[in-house]
Amino acid sequence: MVERCFVPSSLREALEIRKEYGAHPLAGGSDLMVQYKAGLGITPDFPFPVMIITKLEELKGISRKEDGSIEIMALSTPSEIAACPFMPFHVKSAASRMGAIALRNSATIGGNIGNASPKGDLPQPLILLDALVVLTSADGERTVLLDDFIRGSKKTDLRDDEIITKIIIPPVEYTYAYYRKIGTRKANAISKLSLSALIKIDDGLVSDFRAASGAAGPKVIRSRESEEILKGHRIDEIEPLIPAFLESWNNAISPHAMPEYRRNTTKRMLEHFITEALAMPECEIID
Amino acid sequence: MTEFKLNGKIVRFEGNPLTRLIDVIREDLGLTGTKEGCGEGECGACSVLRNGKLTTSCIIPVGAVAGDEIVTIEGLRDTEQGKCLIDAFAEGGAVQCGFCIPGMVMAAQALLLENSDPDEEDVRMAISGNICRCTGYDLIVDSILLAAKKGKGLW
Repeated sequence: MVERCFVPSSLREALEIRKEYGAHPLAGGSDLMVQYKAGLGITPDFPFPVMIITKLEELKGISRKEDGSIEIMALSTPSEIAACPFMPFHVKSAASRMGAIALRNSATIGGNIGNASPKGDLPQPLILLDALVVLTSADGERTVLLDDFIRGSKKTDLRDDEIITKIIIPPVEYTYAYYRKIGTRKANAISKLSLSALIKIDDGLVSDFRAASGAAGPKVIRSRESEEILKGHRIDEIEPLIPAFLESWNNAISPHAMPEYRRNTTKRMLEHFITEALAMPECEIID
Repeated sequence: MTEFKLNGKIVRFEGNPLTRLIDVIREDLGLTGTKEGCGEGECGACSVLRNGKLTTSCIIPVGAVAGDEIVTIEGLRDTEQGKCLIDAFAEGGAVQCGFCIPGMVMAAQALLLENSDPDEEDVRMAISGNICRCTGYDLIVDSILLAAKKGKGLW
């Protein structure tokens, strides 16, 4: 069945089409064109109306605001995100390891979020950084925490009349940071497991600790409850707290396939990061 | 209607904007140098340049390239840069069955447009999305490095 396809020339037009027909936005195409592919030489068969929003200039660009937050418009590609000089480490790392070069030139951050795959590369570091997503409709806009917006595997809180227009990363400070994506190859790999973490140490006190696990459950796991176990303590008090933290994190994740592998590896990565950070090395990125 | 530039000429496509770019290139325009391998953007055989950047033409709808400049292997092969790359691939013995080669050449061109003096690691990264099942890649990497060396000043 051939459904309608729209090619709006402005965001306003796109929002009207979205409201009237519920057309699904196609940004880079790298998820949708594959998901609904019909075969060699055949146009993909979409079960819903589609609008190609790739060319909407209003949804392009990355900027840093006066308060230090970073605004990434929804059509920004992983290549642009990876090349951005003021992009936070975790997001830059994830963007630069997505797929391979051609994919990084056409996929978009809005699409990666909207697709809401638990293996998606960008939501994981964005959730670590408490990123917000701006959803726009013909009637207005709302801003929600990305961690709340993604509800489960392939499930988001996006309304039928809304489009993801912008991602906002609040300012972040850390003493040490960690990012790891585990895939079968260096390029073109879908994450088997991923982890982002950061720790901030002020005068010997852990003032912030965060982690985010990708591909370890139906959505990215951020256990604030577990994080609290380590926060507010002096670094010389942390070591005996590590087992309780790791157990709490292990209870928060829920990998559906190869759970022993994913649980063990997650534990080892977290333990590695915390232990290395407590040694207070010179460089802020922990490998 | 979708209008874009292909190898320097304006193309006007009247069909469904969701038609895959590769189908417009191969079926409607008859340019069969661009190959289809996996059809999922994973193998790189269908790579073309879109505004100078590498893109897999099998997963992008033609409606998404409106106003863009697309270059395929046919648009590259008669240019000085294209001739240099093709000669280097021949001299370096980079080609066995040849199916991946148009995509490899486009990936090499995308690299050299950004970095005219790449090292081996840069080259391996540049072709990391292009799969070759014959060569084991080494001769392709050597040939791209050879092109960069022989074509100094071309990029």
